[in-house]
Amino acid sequence: MLKQVMLEAVGNLLASRQRSILALVGIMVGAGAVIAMLAVGGIARNETLRQFRQMGTDTLLLRAESANGLGTLPQAVLEELPRTLPEVRQIAPFILGGGNAGHEGQVRSGTFLGVTEQFAAVARLTLAEGRFLSRHDRFEPFVVLGAGMARELSTPYARVRVGSQIRVGRYVFTVIGVLAESLQSPMMPADANQALFFSLANARRVISSPQLSWAVARLAPEADADAAAERIRAALAPAMREQSVQVQSARALIAGMQGQMRLFTLLLGAVGSIALVLGGVGVMNIMLVSIQERRREIGLRLAIGARRRDISTLFLAEAATLSVLGGVLGIGLGVAGALAFARMSGWAFSLSPEAIPVGAGVSVAVGVFFGFYPAVMASRLDPIVALRTE
Amino acid sequence: MLELEAISRSFRVGPAETQVLRGISLTLAAGEMASIMGGSGSGKTTLMNIIGLLDRPSEGAYRIRGEDVLAARPDALSGLRNRLIGFVFQSYLLLPRLNAWRNVALPLMYRGVAEGEARRRACEMLERVGLSHRTEHFPPQLSGGQRQRVAIARALVGEPAVLLADEPTGALDPTTSQEIMDLFLEMNAALGVLVLIITHDPGVAAQCRRRLVLEGGALAHDSARVPAPC
Ligand SMILES: Nc1ncnc2c1ncn2[C@@H]1O[C@H](COP(=O)(O)OP(=O)(O)OP(=O)(O)O)[C@@H](O)[C@H]1O
Ligand SMILES: [Mg+2]
Repeated sequence: MLKQVMLEAVGNLLASRQRSILALVGIMVGAGAVIAMLAVGGIARNETLRQFRQMGTDTLLLRAESANGLGTLPQAVLEELPRTLPEVRQIAPFILGGGNAGHEGQVRSGTFLGVTEQFAAVARLTLAEGRFLSRHDRFEPFVVLGAGMARELSTPYARVRVGSQIRVGRYVFTVIGVLAESLQSPMMPADANQALFFSLANARRVISSPQLSWAVARLAPEADADAAAERIRAALAPAMREQSVQVQSARALIAGMQGQMRLFTLLLGAVGSIALVLGGVGVMNIMLVSIQERRREIGLRLAIGARRRDISTLFLAEAATLSVLGGVLGIGLGVAGALAFARMSGWAFSLSPEAIPVGAGVSVAVGVFFGFYPAVMASRLDPIVALRTE
Repeated sequence: MLELEAISRSFRVGPAETQVLRGISLTLAAGEMASIMGGSGSGKTTLMNIIGLLDRPSEGAYRIRGEDVLAARPDALSGLRNRLIGFVFQSYLLLPRLNAWRNVALPLMYRGVAEGEARRRACEMLERVGLSHRTEHFPPQLSGGQRQRVAIARALVGEPAVLLADEPTGALDPTTSQEIMDLFLEMNAALGVLVLIITHDPGVAAQCRRRLVLEGGALAHDSARVPAPC
């Protein structure tokens, strides 16, 4: 009996091919959208988490603020913090600015960072060649370049490498290191790839109105970020006078972004759901038309002994077939969509584990839900009215 | 076998109520071969629908084998139709996407008979109606006479007690029409099934032992009660 029901369902769907395909496309797009949305949400979430892992969730960013913009951090007090506060492992103050850098006639604008020797470790920067600035070359004309900046300043004849000369304003600096390519941290105010790193003393020369407004800190592994931020602020307060210090923790940022991501995923899911509902209405529509066209058949089946339940099963089987098929195609579509998104964004493709079951389950549920009303309607037909239909 | 007592049926169309059947009392015995004639709109199909448990009378009583069937619920009526009654329609009403044997087997499927057994019985019945070579054909590939044979096989496969045919030869040429009529007579004799044929063809009616005539919703003539004029 079940075999015959499925056989007939498939036969009937094939008989009204155009309508079936329309409903199928509706369900497919709906399921695909839901799956793609969930997958894209997952990919984006993974990507931000990866960025944070790169930067470290144990990172704090400090910014001095005064009444008229950025303020100045007390460098001496700051550099004492790892010794005075057990929560702080390392701290690296920096000056942020920008300007043009030239090499062999190539000129590019970049970010200028005036840093101490701790900066590479605290910001988790790795070198592709050479070395980072050290304590001993504070007053030497040395520069370290981000990977992107080094690439852009290179000419076909002269690649920027250790020993290359970089002109910044009236000064010429010697390249002592080039960084490896790194992901931009959502925490940092600048992209290390497009930066030139100077010692603090040199930065004060090449940056107009230089101010030591920023610092990045690494916390001890078990430290509580919020408590540490509070203690740092308290420790700096006496030396800050009118100014204040903003402390941003990676954890708080992650929490915020995760909330945003959830909202984003939810929103995308809602879009997918709307598509699914449209698909469901499509299923309902073709079922209603199909029932209208097959009234005499329904009448005949009732006459030869079909019970109401047999009639509703017949139409539910059609709705279920459509939605299962649509769901399967939708999985393909959704995964393909997520893959395309991953390729375009350059982010790592991953399929969140709930994407396929949720997408497929929802599509089948929608199909059956919308198929239910027409099926019940068909089963309630009065046999003589159905048989009299022309 | 079938007892109808003062059956009336009226339909409500808008504000007006039209009485289609007026106080029909009729008893049909098992194994009878009867015809119903009557002008268009005289209520023949309506009467057949009531006898076939597809419709309920507005008034009156209806018993099958002494059992009141008007009290039954829709699904119970489906069961009664499935076991007791076979239908043949003027327009065959075969399902175009099922082949001949699957069409014939349909009543058995609704009875829960396993597919193999249903197929065997359907093919047997197709053989009896002379279509053993057409079991795999689909309705659109069959002639009108052959389709009506498939429909008769479907009506009889469940071994019903009653076979109701509404103008079964109405769409067929005289030769084919006679072949179908012969088949009804043969099945009536061989299976002992009560056959009730609605027809506009006096030639068809004449071949039935009992002849009924409806006029304006009332039974105007019953050959079993009034001796036929010589
Ligand atoms: N469901 C219904 N609603 C309203 N009127 C109906 C309904 N069914 C039948 N009638 C009316 O009942 C009358 C008898 O109809 P019925 O189909 O029984 O006639 P018939 O004798 O079978 O005619 P024919 O020989 O043309 O088939 C007709 O006037 C028809 O309009
Ligand atoms: Mg009629």
